[in-house]
Amino acid sequence: MKTFAVLQLSGCAGCEVGLLNSQAWIDEYRLLYMPLVISVHDMPDTDRLLISGGVRTDEDVYNLHRAVRKTGYVVAIGTCAISGGIASLGNRDNVRELFFSQSARHHVPRLLPRSYPIDEYVSVDLYLPGCPPTPELFHSVLSENGKIRTNTTVCAECRRKKIREIRPAQITGFQEGKVSPEVCLIKQGFLCIGTSTRNGCGAPCPRAGHPCVGCRGPSNALIEKGSDAWFESIKKVFVALTDIPDDAIEEGLRSPQLSLFLFQFSDYAHTGRLPRPKEKVV
Amino acid sequence: MPKIVFPVSRIEGHAQVVIEVHAGRVVSARFKATEYRGFEHFVKGVAPEQMVVIVPRICGVCSTAHHLASVKALEMAFGVIPPPLALSIRELLMLGQMIQNQATSLFLFTMPDRLGLSSILEAAGEAGSAEQLSSLAHRALQVRNAGTKLIDTAGGQFIHPVKAVIGGVTGGIEEKLAETMHGTLMKTLPMACELFDYYIEKSVALKEQLGTWGDDTPTHYIAAVSEYRPDYTGDSIRIMGPDGRILATFPASGYLNHIQFEESEYSYSEKSSYGGKVFRANSLARINLADYMGTPLADRYLEQFRESFERPAHAILLFDIARGIELIYALERAIEILRQPLDNDETMVGYRTRDSEGYGLVEAPRGPLIHHYRITNGIISEAKFILPTVHNIIAIEQALRNSVERYIDSDRIDMEIERAVGRVVRAFDPCIACATH
Ligand code: SF4
Ligand code: SF4
Ligand code: SF4
Repeated sequence: MKTFAVLQLSGCAGCEVGLLNSQAWIDEYRLLYMPLVISVHDMPDTDRLLISGGVRTDEDVYNLHRAVRKTGYVVAIGTCAISGGIASLGNRDNVRELFFSQSARHHVPRLLPRSYPIDEYVSVDLYLPGCPPTPELFHSVLSENGKIRTNTTVCAECRRKKIREIRPAQITGFQEGKVSPEVCLIKQGFLCIGTSTRNGCGAPCPRAGHPCVGCRGPSNALIEKGSDAWFESIKKVFVALTDIPDDAIEEGLRSPQLSLFLFQFSDYAHTGRLPRPKEKVV
Repeated sequence: MPKIVFPVSRIEGHAQVVIEVHAGRVVSARFKATEYRGFEHFVKGVAPEQMVVIVPRICGVCSTAHHLASVKALEMAFGVIPPPLALSIRELLMLGQMIQNQATSLFLFTMPDRLGLSSILEAAGEAGSAEQLSSLAHRALQVRNAGTKLIDTAGGQFIHPVKAVIGGVTGGIEEKLAETMHGTLMKTLPMACELFDYYIEKSVALKEQLGTWGDDTPTHYIAAVSEYRPDYTGDSIRIMGPDGRILATFPASGYLNHIQFEESEYSYSEKSSYGGKVFRANSLARINLADYMGTPLADRYLEQFRESFERPAHAILLFDIARGIELIYALERAIEILRQPLDNDETMVGYRTRDSEGYGLVEAPRGPLIHHYRITNGIISEAKFILPTVHNIIAIEQALRNSVERYIDSDRIDMEIERAVGRVVRAFDPCIACATH
């Protein structure tokens, strides 16, 4: 039986909970290390290592380096491992200052200057984006080597209708107090970015009446380009489908939550390193 | 001074227990939270509507509680009252949260301590003698998955739900979907009872072996459940004294008048107390505070519990038993709600944003959770998260100290100490990601 381990860095454990929801692997794989559910303190040798969470403290760096030596195949799971995740909101300069002035402690692992993706430190064989990835995606990574390769967007899985005659003039969000169950959320004045987000999750959010925030990251059409290109392409969608003024669209798209999720693969844009190749992203 | 350091596993997040020993005496027992992300700082500047999407990421185990506390804080700030159907769906969400969490804590985190294993997943999948364990693992995961399925059904996503929004929920639950969920829970309930009975049996055996249900120093208790039955979407917090008298009842906005906070150099988590006195939150606090559960099977378990232990009950390992009673209650109560029609158009009302302040309270699996926001110029200018695990830090340290004393004397340390530390910490089911946030 093949073996795997799960290393949790600074994250929310939602990725681990997602993995537990996929019971399918229990009889196919042997889980040897995952402190959330197993009391084994040393990382054993395994066929596959799943890493969740961003690199936030010097303890994370230490654990990360030690763990990857024990395996031949590393999978980065979730937004946090791919981009530093939700904690990257703390990377904004003004926030950072506050952060360090108020959070310094002496007898705990030291905080790094920001929250880093794991491939800042080690090389990664496969990326599984999602916050968290669905149990089906986990299963595909474990049993089929991430064979579910995605090639379309969340819209394709959403099935809400983009009715041509409806053109909202502003972003109203939930303030109106209603969401129609059939019509595309963009057409109802929501900032849904399912048009640019990679598929694979089954579009649970827009189907439940909440705009997609892009936790699966950009679609293959965008992923190897710079984040400016994504930004422009999403803007174009709104220009084509609505009468919302340009500056309102821009402001909406620059909101923290979108920078977090959809733009999770964009942290290479200014570093001169190559973007993650789409073949490596589930 | 010699220090013994124990990493703690089978809890949510990264923590250590550090015991300082001098001449065979325990000098101090510390519970250190070693991770930190800084939510209170980085949510500044965020649009209020986005809080309900961002804050569940504080913790993937109790994300639903954060989702709802956030919505309630914003509704208070904007003066919005959600329609009744939205409240039923939110109650379902909290019940899903309870089922998921209590099943995880009981069967994945603490069951191995009763079976002498490092994990119940350990031997799953192996043939022969391990068959029984494999079936245990499968059933345990099935019960907790029923919880996440309920979160998915009521909240639209299984870990970080999206359906609760300012003013209500984005939609009802279609009849067919409700029926399927109802069926799943009906099948889960007997399975959960069977697992819980087995859990009680093994806990009694553990107690026989140890000669105690654990440290039973009387303390105060804090919870946000109503008197007559546990409602996890609570509106006021109550504090019970060590003798069972109710000492205070207050809304979320009054928390600073009753709860004191202190920082510590050795942990990223604060600790809190009731005016300097130790209190405890979580399952045992709720069971001590609830007169009855209000569903047949859970009430039967509660009756047995009350026959065996006094009210308030204080011993540490009873936290785990109390958790099981709640698991059964949550399943029964969710089944009740799913029998009602949950699909009409009145799921939400409109609102206008305004600069203001709001408090949102829910009773999360680990105790009362408060989100406190200030909104200035249309964005979040200040956010404070009052986390239930923080209420338990002093209680955990006290219980650790009382418990490890038994294993240390002047010439030796009994290696049972490591297991004792694990049992004490896990009884409180601390969530480090939450505590430090
Ligand atoms: S990616 Fe999302 S679910 Fe996973 S650890 Fe990070 S915040 Fe949690
Ligand atoms: S609601 Fe969002 S995901 Fe669905 S079709 Fe519209 S843009 Fe695409
Ligand atoms: S619909 Fe969008 S936000 Fe929701 S899970 Fe899928 S990618 Fe993530």
